[in-house]
Amino acid sequence: MSNRIIVSLSCAAVILFGVGTATADWPEKPIKFVVPYSTGGGFDVYVRAVAPEMEKILGVPVVPENIPGAGGQKGAATVYKSEPDGYTIGIFNVPGLTVPPLLGKKVAYDLDQITWLGNLAKDTYSIAVKADSPINSLKDLCSLGRPAKFSDTGPASTSSVTAKISMSLIDCPMTNVTGYKGSSQTIVAAMRGEVDATLKPIGSLRKYVKSGDMKFLVTYENKPSIKGVSSSRELGYNEFEKLTLYRIVGGPPGLPKDVADKLADALLKAANSDAVKEWSTKSKKPLDPIGGAEASALMRDLSVFYAKYKTILAE
Amino acid sequence: MGFDIFFHALLGVITSGSFVFVLIGVLLGLCFGIIPGLGGTTALALLIPITFSMDSLDAMYLAGGVMGATSFGGSITAILLNTPGTAPNAATTFDGYPLAQQGRAGEAIGASATASAMGGLIGLVTLMLFIPLAKEIVLLFGPVEFLLLTILGLVAIAVSSRGKLLRGLIAGGFGLIFAFVGVDTVSGHTRFTLETDYLWDGIPLVPTLTGLFAISQMIELSLKGGSVVTERVNIGNLTGLWQGVVAVFKHWTVLLRGSLIGTIIGAIPGLGGTVASFIAYTSTVQSSRDPSSFGKGNIIGVIAPESANNAKDGGSLVPTVAFGIPGSAETAVFLGILVLHGIDPGPTLLLENEREVYGLIIALTLSAVGASLIGLLTARWLVKITFVNVNILVPLVVTISLTGVYVLEGKPGDVILALVMGIVGYLMIRFDYPRLTLVIALVLGETAERSFHQSLMISDYNIVGLITERPQAVFLVFATLLTLLLPALRKRKKLN
Repeated sequence: MSNRIIVSLSCAAVILFGVGTATADWPEKPIKFVVPYSTGGGFDVYVRAVAPEMEKILGVPVVPENIPGAGGQKGAATVYKSEPDGYTIGIFNVPGLTVPPLLGKKVAYDLDQITWLGNLAKDTYSIAVKADSPINSLKDLCSLGRPAKFSDTGPASTSSVTAKISMSLIDCPMTNVTGYKGSSQTIVAAMRGEVDATLKPIGSLRKYVKSGDMKFLVTYENKPSIKGVSSSRELGYNEFEKLTLYRIVGGPPGLPKDVADKLADALLKAANSDAVKEWSTKSKKPLDPIGGAEASALMRDLSVFYAKYKTILAE
Repeated sequence: MGFDIFFHALLGVITSGSFVFVLIGVLLGLCFGIIPGLGGTTALALLIPITFSMDSLDAMYLAGGVMGATSFGGSITAILLNTPGTAPNAATTFDGYPLAQQGRAGEAIGASATASAMGGLIGLVTLMLFIPLAKEIVLLFGPVEFLLLTILGLVAIAVSSRGKLLRGLIAGGFGLIFAFVGVDTVSGHTRFTLETDYLWDGIPLVPTLTGLFAISQMIELSLKGGSVVTERVNIGNLTGLWQGVVAVFKHWTVLLRGSLIGTIIGAIPGLGGTVASFIAYTSTVQSSRDPSSFGKGNIIGVIAPESANNAKDGGSLVPTVAFGIPGSAETAVFLGILVLHGIDPGPTLLLENEREVYGLIIALTLSAVGASLIGLLTARWLVKITFVNVNILVPLVVTISLTGVYVLEGKPGDVILALVMGIVGYLMIRFDYPRLTLVIALVLGETAERSFHQSLMISDYNIVGLITERPQAVFLVFATLLTLLLPALRKRKKLN
C-alpha cells in the first residue's frame, strides 16, 4: 500500500519537476525546423545548411521537416499554431506570406504575432531580357508603345508582387504572364521571346547571363553589385531596394523570451559559422544573417511598407 | 562528344565499387514499382535525406538505378493483377492482363522486360545524340505548342475509345473538371476547394491513381473472389517468356515508335510517362491493320506502352541538360538532390556538372537493362501471384498502397482521397467507363488550361495569329487533324 503511494508520489514529482524545468533546461529534446516547401528548394537548402550547425551549438538534434502546400501557407500555419515551447520553429517567405492577407485572403497565420528569431538571407531582385533583345534599359522596356510583358509562376509569388509594385511606382505599363512552373521556366520564356522581360533574384538570373542567354537591365539595390548594370538607386528609384525576398526564421507567438533569445543566438552563430559560410560561397547562395531584434524591427517595417500597396496588388 | 565521355564514365562505374549503388537503386526501384501506390517519385523522395551524406556521384547512381527500374517493376503488377504498379503502366493493363488471364503471363512479362530495356536504351541514345541541340529543342516549344500538344493528347482519348466514344468523353470530361480544382495559376483564386486547404494545390495525382487503379481493382477482385487465373493452366514456363522476348524484335516498328513517342513526350515538362504510354498505345492501335484484336491480349499492346514509359526517362533529361528544368516528377527530385549537394541547376549544368549528369545517364542505362534481366530471371516465380487467393492478396495490396500514399506527403487527406477514388474507380469498372481516360484528362487539363491562358496573353488575344507564324505549331495542328481523320479515311478505303 505505502509502496504504491511512494511510487505515485515519485511519479508525480518527476512529472512536476519535468514541467517546472521545461523552460529552464531548454533544450532537452529535438527541435523541429519547418520548411514550408519541398526538399531541394531555395528555402530547404538554407535550413539544411544551418540546421547541423545549430545542432552543435544547442546540443540537441535540429530536424528539418518539409511541410509543403498552398504556396508556403501550410508550413507557416503549422509553426503559427504549434506550442510555444521552443521545439518548433520555421522559415518564412516574406513578402510571399505578407501579401495574401493584404488581399483579403483568409489565412491560418498572423505574421505580426510570430516571434522572429533572425533572418538568414535576402535575395536582391533584378530585371533581365534576352541577350539579343533591342531593349537595353528600364526606359526602353517602359516605352514599347504597349504594356511590357513579364513572366512569372503565380500572381501571388514574391517576384510577381515585386514587379507589380515597382512598375506601378514608375508608371510603367506591364502585363504579367503567369503560370510557368518554376523560375527557370520564366527565364526561358523570356529567351523564347514570348515575354519581353522577367524579374527574378540576381542569383537565379546570373547563370543565364553568364551563359550568354540573358542580359541584366537593372538591379533592385542601393549600390550596384554587377559591373555595368545600374542599380535602382542610381536611377532614382529609392523604394525599389525595399522590395526584397527575405528568408526569415520565426517561432510561434508567445515564445518565452529566454528560449527565443537562445534560439536567435544559436541561429545567428550557425549562420555565421565557417561551415555555413563555405557552403554559401560554394553553392553561390547569398547570406545576410541578422539577429532576432533586427528581424522583428524589419518585419514591422515591411508590414507597414506592403500595406501601402494594397490597392496596386488588388488590381 | 557525348559518347566517349559516356563510355569512359561507364568503365569508371564498373571498375569502381560504385556499381553497388546502381544495384541497390535497381532493387529498390523494382520493389517500389511492383507495389501499387508506391512509385519512382516516392522512392526518390524517401532517399533524398540519405543521399545528403553521400558523394554526389554515388547519389546519382542510386537515383538513376531507381528511376530506370520502377516502370518495368510496375508493368509486372499491371500484367498480373490488372493494377498498374506505377501510373505509366496503366496502358499496359489493356492487353497485359488479358494475356495473364489466358495463362500467357510469362510471354507478357518477357515482352515488357525486353520492351522496357530497349525503350530505355533508345531514349538514352536519342538523348545523347541531341544533347548538343538540347537548348534549341527546348526553345522551340512554348506555351502555344504545349497547348496544341495537350489538344493532341485529348484527341487521342476520342480516338482510343472506339465503340465507347461517349463513355470515353464522359470520363475525360470528369478528368478535366478535376483538373480545375485548386488555385488558378493565372488569377490566383481558389476554385472548387470545398473550403479545405487540402485541395488548394489541386487534386493530387498519386492518391488519385492509386484509388482509381489499385483500390478499385482490389474491390473488384474481392467481390469476384477466387484468384486472377481461375483455371489451372500451365503458366510460367520459360518458352512463354522467350516468345515474349522474340515478339519485341519481331515488332520492331512498334518498339521504335513507342520509344520515340516516349522520348518526345518525356521532353515536355509536365506531361510525363502516363501520357507517353497512353499515346504510344493509342497510336499503335490506330496504325494497326487489325485494331479489334487490342484489349483482348495482343502482345503489341504491351510492347508499345512499355517501350514508351522507359524511353521517357531519356527524353525528360533534355530540358534538364539544356536549362536545369525538370522534364518529369523524377527529374525534379533528381535536381533536388543536386541542389542539396550545393549544385545550382541552370543553363550551365552540363558544362559544370558533366560528372553528375553522365553518372545519371549511366545509371539509367545499367538500370534499364539490369531491371529487365532480374525480371526475366524471376518471372517464373512472379507469375504465381496470379494464383494467390484474393483473401490474402487484397488486404496486402490495399494496406501497402495506402501506406505508400500516406508516406509520400504525410497528408491524411491523401488516404481519404485514394479511398474515394477507389470507389469511383470501381463504379467505372462496373459500368464500363475507361479509367485511364479520366487520368489522362486530369494530367492534360492542368497544362492545357495554363498554356491556353499564357498563349492568350502572349499573343494579345490572337492565338490563331500566333500559331500561323510558328511552323512547329502549324505542324502540331496538322498532326492533330490527321489523328482525328485517319480512322475515317481508313474506313473509306476499306469500303472501296
